[in-house]
Amino acid sequence: MRILIVEDDQETRDFIARGLTEAGHAVVTSTDGRDGLFQATEGNFDVLVIDRMLPVIDGLSVVRMLRAGGCTIPVLILTAMGSIEDRVEGLQSGADDYLVKPFAFSELSARLLALGRRLPTTQAEPNRLVVGDIELDFERRLVRRAGRRVALQPREFLLLAELMRNPHRVVTRTMLLERVWDFDFEPKTNIVETHLSRLRAKLNAGFDEDAIETVRGAGYRIRGE
Amino acid sequence: MMRPLGHSTFGLAMLVSLALTLGAVGIGAISYEVTHEALEQQLDHRTATETRALLAEPGFDRTAAIAKGIARREGIPGPEHLEYLLVDAKGRHLAGQLDATAPQSTGYAEFLHYRDGRIGQSLTTRLADGAMLVVSADRAILDQTDRRLLLLFTSAFGTMLLLGLGGAWTLGALTRARLRRMDRAALAIIGGDLTHRMPIDGSDSEFDRLSATLNRMLDRIAALMTNLRQVSSDVAHDLRTPLTRLRNRLDEAATGAGEQRDAAIEAATFQADELLEIFAALLRISEVEGLGVRKQFRNVAIGEALIELADTYKPDAEASGHSIETDIAPDVHVLGDRRLLIQLAANLFDNALRHTPPGTRIQVALGVEDGVVRLRMRDDGPGVPETARARLFERFSRAEQSRSSTGHGLGLALVAAIAAAHRGEATLLPGPGFGVAVSLGPIRA
Repeated sequence: MRILIVEDDQETRDFIARGLTEAGHAVVTSTDGRDGLFQATEGNFDVLVIDRMLPVIDGLSVVRMLRAGGCTIPVLILTAMGSIEDRVEGLQSGADDYLVKPFAFSELSARLLALGRRLPTTQAEPNRLVVGDIELDFERRLVRRAGRRVALQPREFLLLAELMRNPHRVVTRTMLLERVWDFDFEPKTNIVETHLSRLRAKLNAGFDEDAIETVRGAGYRIRGE
Repeated sequence: MMRPLGHSTFGLAMLVSLALTLGAVGIGAISYEVTHEALEQQLDHRTATETRALLAEPGFDRTAAIAKGIARREGIPGPEHLEYLLVDAKGRHLAGQLDATAPQSTGYAEFLHYRDGRIGQSLTTRLADGAMLVVSADRAILDQTDRRLLLLFTSAFGTMLLLGLGGAWTLGALTRARLRRMDRAALAIIGGDLTHRMPIDGSDSEFDRLSATLNRMLDRIAALMTNLRQVSSDVAHDLRTPLTRLRNRLDEAATGAGEQRDAAIEAATFQADELLEIFAALLRISEVEGLGVRKQFRNVAIGEALIELADTYKPDAEASGHSIETDIAPDVHVLGDRRLLIQLAANLFDNALRHTPPGTRIQVALGVEDGVVRLRMRDDGPGVPETARARLFERFSRAEQSRSSTGHGLGLALVAAIAAAHRGEATLLPGPGFGVAVSLGPIRA
């Protein structure tokens, strides 16, 4: 993917750029809001990483201007710790995801991959998702594996849907907490692990192959074939 | 330095007394004028009466009869101060001792100058044969009364002005003295004596009430300062342990090799994450306490959210041998931040699951009582020691820490902060086990 990083802090910028380059992405960096805005409209990027606080033009204004100009490239906003208002404002400005600093690189990487392959937000979500031999029907709230019906609790259904929206890609624990439970904090107990192991047990009943892969230190991935 | 008069108490009182004096001078001038006019009219009245009496003197020759009348009147000494003059048509003196030139025209004359310098107020009448009769009253009485009035008024205004000045000065001095005491108190507080308070004399005056309000404000600030100091020292104290561990791990990593080094690096990362978690929790608490989150408040279906949350925790609870019993009214709504409210409840669930032995029952109830949303979460576990209950909702509460090796004593502090942001409070429930009651308000109709 072609990724633009707009971040004024050199250490953070280098840390992200190095990691993403090593992972095989084409990375362009920018250090202030005005230059970032220019680069974003000129270069043909798949995803933008924009810091909330930037010199010249702040991050949220950059996103607002991009959106006002008809740019639909997915944007991930980076914000400092302790910023409930930033999160709301960030999403209101037209950003697609946000990440609180400091973060693990694997978290950023997983989110960028999810964003980069995401369908444009204007397009309605399909009623049906199919990954490998697993089939999920939103309308009838039905899940089948290899044609066999799997009965799931509502939470487990949402959990599976989130994994299937990102086929072959890692979904982190934090992403699941945010999107399935609406948590923006880390609970002390293992609710993600517990629910995931239940989901896994139900999906795998009668099958040899594990439908959900645990990627150590990163998250979970739905197995395709 | 000259300040505008209206900006000090003395100046203000001075302005008021000046205005009052000016008003009184105005009233004085009017009464002086009215009195003066009345006296002049009285003199006119006397000359007219006298003229009529003279014209009514009996006798065939009118002029001669009047001359006789004049002579008779002048023969009797009296306090009338009236003087007469009768001249014939050619201006020759016929009768009367009035030592002045007869006016050419008939009617009232306000100022008739006597030859001896006195001034009279006169009435001149032309008789049938062309003779002129002048009756004049000395204006000395009038002038005397005028002077007396003027003296009276002037002394009254002078006294008023002096009293006003004195009053203004006294008022200014009293205010200044009172404010100076408050000023001294404020300077003492600025100087570092945070226990100093504004003086109160028990008079319940406006100054006293202001002082009392300021003192309440100072008490509040002092409490916040104490809290801040406490938190700062707690933060320093509580971060030392994980930082020391982190340092030791890094030490191991630097000296070790191979697998041992990898393990040390992993452990160091874990310690760093732990520190970041403490910071995140602290920042979240101070953010919620800052009340800026209220700007994002929306109508939250807290009943439904809590039912979902309880369902989320049930598998975990079962896995650890706990049971969760719920009594949640599903249609309860509250004005608030959904994610914060979820975090509040999740903290309580986390607490109950981590700090009680297997077999413990956890009861959750949500409902509306007296217009306030009440959330109660209680377990029948070992509870907390009596001595620790008081500080349980403060940051780095030792009791909360002692309940678990992994907690930082921040969970319940956040619960209290979130409840306060929602205009409610978190309290401990009495009785065995551990129970927390959280009130949230106001509810949305």
